[in-house]
Amino acid sequence: MASNPPTRLGDLERAVMEHLWVSTEAHPEGLTVRDVHDAIGVTRGLAYTTLMTVLDRMAKKQLVTRERDGRAWRYLPASSRDELTSEALHHTLGELAGSQRRSALLRFLDQSTPEELDELRAALADLEQREGTHQTG
Amino acid sequence: MVIAALLTLTIALAWPVPRLMAGMTTFRRAPRAALVVWQSTTVGAVLAALFAAPAALPYVIGPTAALADNATQIAVAVAVSGLIAGRLIVSGHRVGTRLRAHRRRHRRLVDLLAVPVGADGSHAAHMRVIEHPTPTAYCVPGMRRRVVLTQGTLDSLPEDQLVAVLAHERAHLRARHDLILEFFTVIHEAVPSWFRCEMAMHEVKLLIEVLADRAAVRATGVVSTARAIVGMATGAVKPEGMLAMGESPSAARLRLELLQPGPVAGLPAGVAATVMYLFATSVVIMPVALLVVAWATA
Repeated sequence: MASNPPTRLGDLERAVMEHLWVSTEAHPEGLTVRDVHDAIGVTRGLAYTTLMTVLDRMAKKQLVTRERDGRAWRYLPASSRDELTSEALHHTLGELAGSQRRSALLRFLDQSTPEELDELRAALADLEQREGTHQTG
Repeated sequence: MVIAALLTLTIALAWPVPRLMAGMTTFRRAPRAALVVWQSTTVGAVLAALFAAPAALPYVIGPTAALADNATQIAVAVAVSGLIAGRLIVSGHRVGTRLRAHRRRHRRLVDLLAVPVGADGSHAAHMRVIEHPTPTAYCVPGMRRRVVLTQGTLDSLPEDQLVAVLAHERAHLRARHDLILEFFTVIHEAVPSWFRCEMAMHEVKLLIEVLADRAAVRATGVVSTARAIVGMATGAVKPEGMLAMGESPSAARLRLELLQPGPVAGLPAGVAATVMYLFATSVVIMPVALLVVAWATA
């Protein structure tokens, strides 16, 4: 499967996000485009303006927040990694699985109560036994 | 006569037939044929509904009457069929837009959080692993598809079960099960809500899961697949808000029982499937034949 520019852009956004996440503790005031460029742009051979554009887009998508600091912007992640992970999983299991939207994602996982899980395990034990007898007999 | 037959067919295919079919659980043993039957029944119902008014025309105005003299009747017939077609088109647009917007949003979120597992061009190029303890796996279908796993899945399932999980998701993506579901969702939502058959949607979803499960069985065997299904269902550490999920353990259990093909309604699977395909074909042909007969004999 050929890679396409959107994926590369996605990769870059993820790298930026990653860097902002690990930096929040040390730099609660946020990072400038220059900081981000130094950290992840230089090794990738990316121009300063590329990072500026990416961060600007990410701010518009509300992935990051920014505040003026003199003539520069300081960028912070809009949500923590955990918050976003939780949002992704709820999005999958909740919203998309709602009666109308369930079809959007075909899930392998089913959620359940303890009694039902016991019954499920019993069914598995039955099947294992059946298959076991198959193989020996 | 013919128009009565078409109307009966429409109503039968739209109301009692899906409800009856949903109750005939033995056909789940032949999931592929059963899905074809569901699709053809749906197509048959739509065709019968679209053809009812045009089929009535020759009886109302006579087959040889000049069309220009009967503009009103023709306009009514066109309006009736047009209304039905319009509902389908609107529903198709709404469902399609909604699904794609959701998938796009979700894919963005996943791409932001998860590192690709494989390099470009590799088998695993679409795989993403999210750092989370709950075992979950699913696929985001579409042009830029994704198979998403949580770290919890990788940590809790042994390799043969992981193979089952991945084979299951790949089967969904490869066979474009999302399009089958989208088709049913479009028709489902085009119908007035009091007329919808939730059971039919449930059945179709189950059949699709069974098909994917069987692909997993072919990849890694019955026992591994069964263990994977149970492992995914039981290993889940539920984050808050995830409890209120419908269709759950009972569905997993049903799937365990349906992993292998078996006799359908007492018949060997092959024979049963042939009968089902014949039924599927006739259900689509019937409304077309009735329309032709209406114009030929009126």
